[in-house]
Amino acid sequence: MQPLTDDEYARYMLAEGKRFQDSFEIIALFKRAFEAYSNLKSERTAAYCRFQMAREYFSVCEFHNAKEIFDKIANLYRQEGWILSLWEILGYLRECTREISCVKDFIEYSLEMAALPITSNAFDPSSKDYGPAGPASLSQRAKIHKEAFGVVNGESELSLKEDNSGYKVNSHLPLYLEIDLVSPLRVVLLALVAFHEQTVKPGVSSLITFSLRSRLPINIEIDQLEVQFNQSECNFIIENGQKSNASTIPCCLSGRRVETAPALVLATNKWMRLTYEITSGQTGKLECTYIIARMGPQFSICCRAESPASMTDLPLWKFEDQVETIPLKDPSLAFSGQKAIQVEEPEPQVDLSLCSCGPALVGENYILPVKVASKGHAVYSGELKINLVDTRGSDLLSPREVEPFSADNLHVELMDIYWDGLDDHSDSRSDKIQKIQPSFGLISVPSLVEGESWSCKLKIMWNRPKPIMLYVSLSYYPHNDEPSLQKAHVHKSLEIEGKIAFTISPRFMMPFRKDPLLLSKLKAAYDPEHIPLALNESNMLIVSAKNCSEVPLRLLSISIELRGNNDTCIVHPHHEEFTEPIIHVPGEEFKKVFTVIPKVNNSQLNMGMVCLRWQRDSRPPDEVHSWATVSQVTKLKLPDVNVELPPLLVSLEFPPHAILGNPFVFYVKVHNQTELLQEIKFTLADSQSFVSSGPHSDTIYILPRSAHVLRYMLVPLCSGSQQLPRVSVTSVRYSAGFQPSAVSSVIFVYPAKPTFKVNEKKERQ
Amino acid sequence: MIVCVAVVGHQNNPLYIQSFTDADDELKLHHIVHCSLDVVDERVNNPKKAAPTLNETFLGLLYPTENYKVYGYLTNTKVKFILVTTDLDVRDADVRNFFRRFHTAYVDAVSNPFHVPGKKITSKIFAERVSTIVKSFGTSAAG
Repeated sequence: MQPLTDDEYARYMLAEGKRFQDSFEIIALFKRAFEAYSNLKSERTAAYCRFQMAREYFSVCEFHNAKEIFDKIANLYRQEGWILSLWEILGYLRECTREISCVKDFIEYSLEMAALPITSNAFDPSSKDYGPAGPASLSQRAKIHKEAFGVVNGESELSLKEDNSGYKVNSHLPLYLEIDLVSPLRVVLLALVAFHEQTVKPGVSSLITFSLRSRLPINIEIDQLEVQFNQSECNFIIENGQKSNASTIPCCLSGRRVETAPALVLATNKWMRLTYEITSGQTGKLECTYIIARMGPQFSICCRAESPASMTDLPLWKFEDQVETIPLKDPSLAFSGQKAIQVEEPEPQVDLSLCSCGPALVGENYILPVKVASKGHAVYSGELKINLVDTRGSDLLSPREVEPFSADNLHVELMDIYWDGLDDHSDSRSDKIQKIQPSFGLISVPSLVEGESWSCKLKIMWNRPKPIMLYVSLSYYPHNDEPSLQKAHVHKSLEIEGKIAFTISPRFMMPFRKDPLLLSKLKAAYDPEHIPLALNESNMLIVSAKNCSEVPLRLLSISIELRGNNDTCIVHPHHEEFTEPIIHVPGEEFKKVFTVIPKVNNSQLNMGMVCLRWQRDSRPPDEVHSWATVSQVTKLKLPDVNVELPPLLVSLEFPPHAILGNPFVFYVKVHNQTELLQEIKFTLADSQSFVSSGPHSDTIYILPRSAHVLRYMLVPLCSGSQQLPRVSVTSVRYSAGFQPSAVSSVIFVYPAKPTFKVNEKKERQ
Repeated sequence: MIVCVAVVGHQNNPLYIQSFTDADDELKLHHIVHCSLDVVDERVNNPKKAAPTLNETFLGLLYPTENYKVYGYLTNTKVKFILVTTDLDVRDADVRNFFRRFHTAYVDAVSNPFHVPGKKITSKIFAERVSTIVKSFGTSAAG
């Protein structure tokens, strides 16, 4: 005997199954086949096996099992658009629900069948292969439609096989269908909602259009439409003007707005468009959520509202070759309309102003007045919120930062908020100020009646020069007796630049017409930043202060604060107070000369700090007396200096001016400050402007701790600023040469003896 | 004898389905065509199990049933042609020839500027051409 092949076994089993017609045996076979095909991922063949199972269940009156299976496979045919197969299954489902007395499901399946895209009437009435609903045709759709609506309108009774009774819709047994965004009943009723605008002010009306369409084969007349929004106070009803029994519809909607439409008839495949005005007094999103269509007193269809912009195609109908109409006449709304609108905040009628007084200066308490003025609204429960934000996005000064601030990290900080009448008994400061942080402040605004105003001042400190954005927000209630209304908000922002007021630059110089030989300068490793100074000599410190801001500033005083005791260095003047404050316009530079005499030999002498006291020149003259309490101080650390004893010191001495033809004496003194004999070579270069007498060149030896003086008699030959004959001094020991600078070797020659009348008057006195 | 031809879109939705039988098995043929899509998916996703030539559009015999044979054809745009015949000894060449002519008729139908791609073919001219091709197939097979 040869074993059976698979084909032969399958044929044998089919033949046996057909011979015995045992439904449960057949069901078992189909179930095994379904499992086998499911394992092979053959979804459609597996569905067909289940379909056959369900038919067998149906034939043996196991309607619950049959319905469960038919329900599952119906989705496959819906998704892939196999209409005839779906028609057949829906027919079976209809009968199953009739058998198990599930009226709601019966109506749903009936309506879905009636709305299938079957337009042909060509069928063979004797055909038996279309399921219990009969052949798929337009007339059969209409028949099912009428049957379903007869039941829902209470005109006919639905015979229920399970308990052998009839079902009739009445007030005790109403029918309510729900259609969501994925329901197959979207073909029965599709509701699109589009607001004509995207935003609207509260209390201002906007137009909204409702577009309804049905794919049912027969026109349906709606008695009433109820439109529901997320803001329930906007809900309203549209009644059918042609229906006399609309008012008999029981609804707990008393007090609702009621509109009347001339007719509410949904023609097959045609959009019914209704446009109305809608007004909302509540800010936020206003969204149409549901549209409930009532057909008769006991039948309602609740349809989830959809936006035209996000409407998905109807399954099955999207494959049909037919003309598609747009839901709204306005093409832009038809493709981008939304079922929600944003209700903006009410237009505030309060003026919030920030009175900036120019850029802020580092180190200064910047005072910014904030004024709240009522221009139509009263102010109740007002709150002023202040935010400081970095414009460049770095070091964001936000109250959300978790880490605690340190003084070094705070570039800009809100110091305080104060206002007039702070000491009034009615409101204490602590009641008003809710929160003050370096970058955030929150204070309460007192109640204001219409026309009143209130102001406060923000004190902000800039520790570093950087721009910030200041955001000030006022929120208030316009009315005191309607707390449910939204708060009104006013926002103002201001960019404030933070700048350094003064840039201070110090410069050390040798005494005029004196040049000490500083050995550190001769070394190869000389550091130019390591400023050398001569010990016990009067060195010059020139401090320049430049106004880098955009506003005029008053210079009040300048001083040098030495570190440690004053024995290390003598500075003169130590402090200078300007009796008349010096006003500097932007860009102007002030220079002050100090004499610095270091007293200790120190390679790194700390010179202390330059302190500049100043204030903004924005005060009226009568407030000048108060500047002492509101001045700012800018400090700069002076660079460390290298103090050393110069072995040699060369100085030039000659009168401040000369007279043409009159001789004068020109001294060149060389001081030896060492314990060693110093060999010095000198030369004198002739000048055409002078006749000179004295040694032109020689080598001299200077004893320790003594000085040698070179004396020249000069007679000027020309008048005006003349360059003296150049003297060069060279130290043999240190291989260093000295030549006076051109500036220090200039003398003014008068053509004749000058007469100074002022001096003469003083002399006479 | 060809009893059913179908054009199925790339979403596995029927674009055109025509039965050539007087019996009451139109629905049954719908199911047969629908189930054959599983075989087409398998052939497309597992090319090693298919015909030796990978670029072959003719899918050949999809599956035989008790009374029918089902043949498939896949276009470059992933549209499937399904042929259901009662002839049990059809030559491969005849079926290929049929699909080639059917494909030409399909291309002409979708080239109609009023045809919307993805929607069902409702052209009567296409239906007539299909009927002609089906009739000539039966004639050539018998000859």
